Amino acid sequence: MKEIKVEVIGPEPACVRCQTAKKVVEKAAERLKQAEMTVKVEKTNIVSKEVVSKYGVLFSPAVAVNGVVKIMGRVPREEEVERLIREAAEKVPSN
Amino acid sequence: MNGSLAGKIRTALLLLSVIIVVGLLIYSRIMAYSLAPTLQPADFSKYAWYEVPFYYLWDYISHAWICLLFAFTAAGLVYEFTPKEMVTRYMSSSRVAGYAIGTVLAPFFTVCSCTMVPLFAGILYAGAGIGPAITFLLMAPAANILTILITGEFISWEIAIVRIIVSLITAVFAGVIIAKTPWGKAIEKEHQISQNSGATQQTIEIVKPPLDERLISALKFGGYLVKQIMPFFIVGLIIVGYVTAYTPQEIVEGYLTGVTGVLIASVAAGPLYTPTLVEIVLGRSLLQLGMSKAALLSWLMGQPWDIPNMMAVSKVARWKVVLTYAFIAWACSVAFGLLYGIITGSL
Repeated sequence: MKEIKVEVIGPEPACVRCQTAKKVVEKAAERLKQAEMTVKVEKTNIVSKEVVSKYGVLFSPAVAVNGVVKIMGRVPREEEVERLIREAAEKVPSN
Repeated sequence: MNGSLAGKIRTALLLLSVIIVVGLLIYSRIMAYSLAPTLQPADFSKYAWYEVPFYYLWDYISHAWICLLFAFTAAGLVYEFTPKEMVTRYMSSSRVAGYAIGTVLAPFFTVCSCTMVPLFAGILYAGAGIGPAITFLLMAPAANILTILITGEFISWEIAIVRIIVSLITAVFAGVIIAKTPWGKAIEKEHQISQNSGATQQTIEIVKPPLDERLISALKFGGYLVKQIMPFFIVGLIIVGYVTAYTPQEIVEGYLTGVTGVLIASVAAGPLYTPTLVEIVLGRSLLQLGMSKAALLSWLMGQPWDIPNMMAVSKVARWKVVLTYAFIAWACSVAFGLLYGIITGSL
């Protein structure tokens, strides 16, 4: 079972486009459950120190998969997120 | 995936629709068709009170739809195609680059509060310092592509261009000054994470989607801006319609001209929160009613320091910083309003 962490990064309280992005990511995660993958979706605050020190300045909404920002400043499509998660999963050694 | 042919067709259709929008604007220009509304304040006297908003709205929508459509499409496209990762990387790197990007690129990011405050905080935390962050904050609402296009089309391109230039000077000036104040430095120190922070190449790998998806995303963002801005814009128009119809010309000519005019316009502009774009429409009406061009400039420059904007920023920076930049922005709007009035003889 591979575990993938997806962060949806946006301001707090979440703006409309960040909420949309989060829903898209959650749907993609739901689909991947059947593919033996645990996807942890998290909403992180774009202005928190942790996020800025890790990723620098970002445009919201941003999506990071396993600690790598893949999407910035736009709402992704569901298939796209699914593909990104699958790609990230391939890089993780299975145990 | 729909296969490459479907993708290509979709790209072509999307490009076509963008070209049509641009074409409409050029065509209207060639045919000298007015994109700005044509009713004069005096025309309103013949309508009953309940008819005013309908005529006013109709006047706007029938003439301005091409311009609005173009402005929102352009805003979406520009936002999507500006190299954001480049911006964020350089923004984190140094002060000079920070100021340069703050002023040069801020106009390309059409503001929604969604983007502004996070970017402001991000720039501050990432180590570019409070100066560039303030510059960016003041520049973006004053001179973003949507505002400039609408100002240019509805009022005049002269005012639009002057507005960009004076906003730029004000924004850099405010940034530099605040970076020198003790309370500005305190905020900077408090928020700086470490000298070497900021994104490294490994943590950011932006995926470039194909062109058709980027176009869709751009148009969607344009649509999102419409949804965010238009309801306020329409309500604003109705109110402005009444103001235009019922404000006696003598009052405007008496109070909104000369030095007093600049002062009143500059003071009213900030706290009197007008949603994006409504300040342009109201400014235009007041201009028709006799406000001086100098006062109009001060009025338009008041946008960045309105109250909601200040509230949001005060959560990140302290009130002292907020009040300082508000004061500088106000002082500059008076100074430039007067200067413009003296130079063009329109005080």
